[in-house]
Amino acid sequence: MDHPAVEATGLHVSYGSTPVLVDVSLTVPAGSGVCVTGENGIGKSTLLRCVSSLQQPDDGEILVFGGTPGATPEFWRAVVTTVEPPTWYPGLTVREHAELVCRAHGQDPSDAGIDEALERFGLAGHADAIPPSLSSGQKQRLTLAVALLRPSSLLILDEPEQRLDPEGRAEVAALLVQYVADGGSLLMASHDEAFAEASGAEVTTMESLSAVAP
Amino acid sequence: MTAVPLTPVRRWILRTQSAHRERGATAGNIYFTVLFIAVVGGMLHKQLAVVFWPTHPNASRLAAASLVPILFGLLYLALRRFGPLALSRPAAAWLLPAPVSRRALLLPSLRLTAIVAAIIGALAGIAIVGHGAPRTLDGSEVALLASGAGLVGIALLLVALAAQAGGRWGDRLDAVVSLLLAAGLAGLVADATGNHPVAATGWPSAGTLVPLVGAVALVVALLFALAVRGLARTPNERILEAAKTAGTLFDSAFGMEPSFLTDMIERRYWAHRKLRSVRLPDRLPVLVGQDLLLVARRRRRLLWLLLAAALPVLLTEAPHWLIGLAILVGALLSASTAGGNVKTDAGNPVLLRLLGLTSRDAILQRMWVPGALAALWSALALGLLSALDDLPPGPWWALGLVLSPVGAVAAVRRARVGFVRNELLPLDTPMGTVSTGPLVNALVGPDALLLGIPALVAIAQHNELSWLTVLVQATVGVLGARAYVAGTTATDRVELHATR
Repeated sequence: MDHPAVEATGLHVSYGSTPVLVDVSLTVPAGSGVCVTGENGIGKSTLLRCVSSLQQPDDGEILVFGGTPGATPEFWRAVVTTVEPPTWYPGLTVREHAELVCRAHGQDPSDAGIDEALERFGLAGHADAIPPSLSSGQKQRLTLAVALLRPSSLLILDEPEQRLDPEGRAEVAALLVQYVADGGSLLMASHDEAFAEASGAEVTTMESLSAVAP
Repeated sequence: MTAVPLTPVRRWILRTQSAHRERGATAGNIYFTVLFIAVVGGMLHKQLAVVFWPTHPNASRLAAASLVPILFGLLYLALRRFGPLALSRPAAAWLLPAPVSRRALLLPSLRLTAIVAAIIGALAGIAIVGHGAPRTLDGSEVALLASGAGLVGIALLLVALAAQAGGRWGDRLDAVVSLLLAAGLAGLVADATGNHPVAATGWPSAGTLVPLVGAVALVVALLFALAVRGLARTPNERILEAAKTAGTLFDSAFGMEPSFLTDMIERRYWAHRKLRSVRLPDRLPVLVGQDLLLVARRRRRLLWLLLAAALPVLLTEAPHWLIGLAILVGALLSASTAGGNVKTDAGNPVLLRLLGLTSRDAILQRMWVPGALAALWSALALGLLSALDDLPPGPWWALGLVLSPVGAVAAVRRARVGFVRNELLPLDTPMGTVSTGPLVNALVGPDALLLGIPALVAIAQHNELSWLTVLVQATVGVLGARAYVAGTTATDRVELHATR
């Protein structure tokens, strides 16, 4: 399997008459990380949504591991994205959410390191809480913790540093370095240059991805 | 602390609001409301008479006594659910944090709720008198009994008000009232199973009623005055919560979207629960284990379901097809106890994507627990009817068990329905315009109960039940469930809805 993790060419997306992506091309080689930076409204999230198959580009081609991204179970077993926030299940605690996802992927919940992950993301004290009762930062950390717990080949993260405190950012960056070192591929959007550097991803700007200078 | 007088503020708000309204809009609204009540009352007066004032008293002493905790228990629980003291959302947002007199702010709301509680209490009183008292009763005695019942309604409101401001005892009182309500229902069921004579005697005369109602009025007036004095002590967060409820209620009514309200009640329930993480069961498929956990955490609702299995007994005097319908609807409702997770997945597929299961696997697993609940409930209800000889001989419990797939399909279909589609074309009828969106939405789910037609026919015919009928119902149910799963899920798709 020597396809790149993500290969997008000539993407065009516009909302009404406002062009957001104009001839954007992006390649994430398998087993490496790419971080897209740029100011608000420049189309980072739109690009990530397109790659996650959550939005159809007006024009252009996207290949994820050589295949067309789609709603198939194979795609979602390989790809994890935090582009959209989840709606949590009723009456299920933080820890049980993590266990549910691990079990669905055939992991033994006692070996999956759920407690360590919750500890690392500062959620150990909230393991018995229901996610809607958490603060927005804690919810974000829970989403990240669950995304990193389950097996995957490609992580697509939209501003994972958002709503995290400085220690949290350092922790997450270290985990992303580990994820790529273990053979995973990473595509993320970020505002925080220092975080992007720390995560070991190759930093690129939205402007440099577009064939047409804005 | 100096308090800003509230009356000028309210008057200013009212004036400014009415400046944006059409001239005479309020009068028009009142006119239409009165006309609506008159028209509907005129159309339904026969049905209303059956409910409130049948030609002859038709309840035994047990039934009449059981109606008291049922009607007043429901009134109390409804008052608790909605506040009882609430403000409109704008008032809660702008006037509650303002330095105005708290008592003046809350008094109109209390007055309105007291009037509503008194009217509902009086109506309940009239209904009980109508079913249980002899027609020899004077008009003055009926009026005294009704006003006494209205006063009880206000008293219940005052208790609910104290519970809203108070601590844990409110929750305990709710549990006690729920128990009384259950006891009342049990009394009705016992009345329907036994042969209790209609006994319309032993009602007090006006001579004993006057001092009694007078004393109650005095006590209620005293308590009301105390409540008004203590009104300012109602904690802000309780009023905010009630204001949110009232607002959501109006959203639901105006948007014709009942899910706003049910979702809010569900969220609030879980927010108040203290949970402890457990291991999901190892041997079961993962989503089955999750559904099981959800149901196990709603033990009180399971208890209600268990008690409700006795309710079809109340219909033994009614046409037989009505019993059949009640069984099918009961199967749907009991199966829906486990529907919360499908509803989440149907609304937002993010967690399903994270789980990475095919939509077929997900829905198949999600049908286990609803199916089991529907089977157990229907078997219990039909078994009880059969044990009480209200059904001809036959293996009725088995017919209940094979309703499992019917209940499961209906509940899962209902949970997947999503929002009302208000863009659907409205229907013009001689009675006015009917919007089809809410109608269509309400039917999605219950329509799957058509799969239970063999059982419905068997119950309606009231003949001896053969195993062949059970087999036919089982086959129809399983084939219907297979068709539903095959038609609405796929092995190459994660999302429950086929997208784009």
